[in-house]
Amino acid sequence: MLLREMSFQEKRAWIAVASMGLIYGRYFWSLTMQGGRGPFGSLLATVIQLVIVQVVLTTIAAILNPRDAQAAEDERERMIALRATRVAYAGLSTAVVCACFFGALTPPIVFKTNSLLFVLVTAEMLRNICQIVQYRRGVCA
Amino acid sequence: MRVIRNEIRRLRFEHGEMTQQALAEKIGMTRQTINAIEQGKYSPSLEAAFKIASVFGQPLEAVFHYSAE
Repeated sequence: MLLREMSFQEKRAWIAVASMGLIYGRYFWSLTMQGGRGPFGSLLATVIQLVIVQVVLTTIAAILNPRDAQAAEDERERMIALRATRVAYAGLSTAVVCACFFGALTPPIVFKTNSLLFVLVTAEMLRNICQIVQYRRGVCA
Repeated sequence: MRVIRNEIRRLRFEHGEMTQQALAEKIGMTRQTINAIEQGKYSPSLEAAFKIASVFGQPLEAVFHYSAE
């Protein structure tokens, strides 16, 4: 019933939040356990896992309701996406400043890459969560 | 609190029990957005409001009401 209430864009946001939360969450947790450094191969494997999981889940969502999947974004969905991007940009800027402040942008290169990735994942999660909140709570102009 | 109320659900019923999907297709929106408008969770743009009123053959003020509570 709840799934039926959701537009395809909202389903995509839920898929993104769930998959990124689980897959990147596990990656960053293991990285923390290794003192902030990990092999580049595990990062690559994580990204590949994420792409596969998101493609599979999005395809399933589209197969279950092809009419919603084929529908173009309407004005409400565009507004929600724009607002979420605005919030995510603010989060991204804050996270970059924090990363600079705590000296994360210094070598070694693997640590630098992971810090930037963490910032990017945080911003993307924030964007999708904002979309979900607006879809659930409603949005006014 | 400012609220925009609407008569879309009633008008759909009076127009041969038109479904949300049918209305959505007529004005180029998703069914979920029509549902959000009916529930007061989304205030449509002026253009969308006119399109909805046009589907029912009603003036805008017969479909949407503005009130400051």
